[in-house]
Amino acid sequence: MYKYLPKSELPVLIQTWMAGWAVCAPMGPPDATAFARIDEPSQALLDAIPNTIYPPKALFLPHSEVLLKAVAGRLEEVEDCSPPTLVLGIRSCDVRALSLLDRVFLGGNHIDPYWKARREKAALIGLVCSEPCQSCFCTAVGSSPFDERGADALLTDQGQAYIVKVISEKGRGLFEGLDSASAAQIDEAVQSRKAAEAAMAEPFSRKIASLEASSGKTTGTEEDSEESMPWSIRDRLNAIYESDFWSRIQQACIGCGVCTFLCPTCHCFDIVDEFQRGERVRNWDSCMFRIYSQEASGHNPRPTNLKRVRNRIMHKYAYFQDRYRALGCTGCGRCVRHCPVNIDIREIIQYALEFKAS
Amino acid sequence: MVNALNASLRKEASRILQENLVDVVIGFQAGSLPMTAQPAFVRRAGMAGILINSGFGATNLALYLTRRRHRSERIGLVCRGCESRAVRVLTGERQHVREALYLIGIPCKGIIDRRRIEAEAGPHVLSAEEIDAEVVVTTRSGEYRFLRSEVLHGACRQCRFPHPVGVDITVGELPRERADSLQEGGALSAAEAGTFIGKEPCGFESLTADERYAEFTRRAERCIRCYACRQACPMCYCTQCFVDSTTPRWTESTVGRAGAQAWHIMRAFHQTGRCVGCGACERACPMGIKMRALTDKLNRDMERSYGFVPGKEEIHEPPFAAFSMDDANRFGR
Repeated sequence: MYKYLPKSELPVLIQTWMAGWAVCAPMGPPDATAFARIDEPSQALLDAIPNTIYPPKALFLPHSEVLLKAVAGRLEEVEDCSPPTLVLGIRSCDVRALSLLDRVFLGGNHIDPYWKARREKAALIGLVCSEPCQSCFCTAVGSSPFDERGADALLTDQGQAYIVKVISEKGRGLFEGLDSASAAQIDEAVQSRKAAEAAMAEPFSRKIASLEASSGKTTGTEEDSEESMPWSIRDRLNAIYESDFWSRIQQACIGCGVCTFLCPTCHCFDIVDEFQRGERVRNWDSCMFRIYSQEASGHNPRPTNLKRVRNRIMHKYAYFQDRYRALGCTGCGRCVRHCPVNIDIREIIQYALEFKAS
Repeated sequence: MVNALNASLRKEASRILQENLVDVVIGFQAGSLPMTAQPAFVRRAGMAGILINSGFGATNLALYLTRRRHRSERIGLVCRGCESRAVRVLTGERQHVREALYLIGIPCKGIIDRRRIEAEAGPHVLSAEEIDAEVVVTTRSGEYRFLRSEVLHGACRQCRFPHPVGVDITVGELPRERADSLQEGGALSAAEAGTFIGKEPCGFESLTADERYAEFTRRAERCIRCYACRQACPMCYCTQCFVDSTTPRWTESTVGRAGAQAWHIMRAFHQTGRCVGCGACERACPMGIKMRALTDKLNRDMERSYGFVPGKEEIHEPPFAAFSMDDANRFGR
């Protein structure tokens, strides 16, 4: 079912949502840095912006979340009394990421109650990426700029209006009372979706020479490179696990937490006691930090940057697949765009597919 | 002109690899996105062709000297002014042996701040080219031309020492000496204060203490504790950073006011007499936090009080590592 939503009517609609929902949308400062709860409709930045820097997973797995609080000498659970979250303007890659995280937090024997509570109450109104960035590669990892899986409704920007595709019951409720879109309007929306997909950059670019440069060895022969590569990335990565592939790709990496913190599917956390404020807090953690795998004995099973980089790539493209039957990457491109040294995971995967172990 | 420079850079890199003077040459190669350049590690003379001189090289390459994996290597380092000064600080702090380094100095016209360009040209930049004094940017909606001097990173606008110092060779023509932008006594000129922290209200020192704290708080609040600033800094080479210490814990790791403020203040203090002002920390920050005002203040204090500018001269004893029984001050005696 498609609805027609003139942009001039959106503020009114958001206002009505705000009565029952914590409406979260891309916000400043400066421009669409993160999804945050808006106080008034005009704060939602939906037009002509790339995806947020900070991923919306933070709405469901907060960067720092107080689990227990010391009250009169006893630790008590912190009750979450916030209204249900309505995420407005979330992109397909991020919706997909939330679905993947559902497999982590809800899929196994261990249900994460905090995630569960927030997710069940929430509604997701997606926004078709009409202008994918140079760093986007969702189409290379099984999605698209208008992937609607997991969303409750999906907006397509048609200039003066949004064409709303209502997907779930929740979505139906949110857009009740709007006129249906005409066949011509729907067709237009479909066309612009196709244009968006066509605008996607080549998924895995080829920049093999530069990585070969650091090997100190000569590259394979012409014949070698003609050989067709196994297309399962997971098998490929497993096959080169012990090779010097990793020492090459990790050289520029400075070991910061940008890629993992901005990744919409990274979900590692660390639970710490903040003694001074009497709180037990769950914080995001990053496998790129040396301290992440540091054990109490002093032993560190991933003591080098190489092993940490390998783990991150393997986790996205192999381990996640082993455990949850899907790639752990949604192609949002945040790690590509914001890496301080321009490490591009697309190049790494492409290189892995073509790499000749010596 | 840029191409001629690339050619001589590559030739020199190729030569020192061929003559086995170094194990690796660290420089920049073209990045995977417009307005980026990626650190390159060239180990074979035949591959020196990937090296480029780029105004988009946001990283301070001297940071790789302190990485454990490079400590025992003979490194050829492509150096701009800030990198060469960072090398001096690092060798002065015994973090690498100068004799194991071969420094290739290249002229520096300042690093282009891609966020500044994106703020004007929009986020969808398809290509960017440095043409003389201009940066020409193509987007889906058309072409934009920027004066290079107007889109430089804040640190580079303020840079007083763009020349590589203490290098083994310099390739290409060095730009005309930029006039010292600091006034006598080290105070910022009004014009400099204007560009001090980009578009934001600036000049920390001219603010009242309360205003300063409010501004600092506002900036620190956006910190996500990814430590990109630390990791991008050549001077942050501690085996264990104070924020990573769990016994005892010096700061909160929780994202919030207390932890973030402690982090930024402590980080700045640890830079006293060491920061070369390259601004790599700010360029690395994904959240666009500008904290150089803190290290700049400390640098000015160092210059005012001791006439010391990190990396300006060869040093054998870093000011805060110096110890003397004859010290006029009581501390340490």
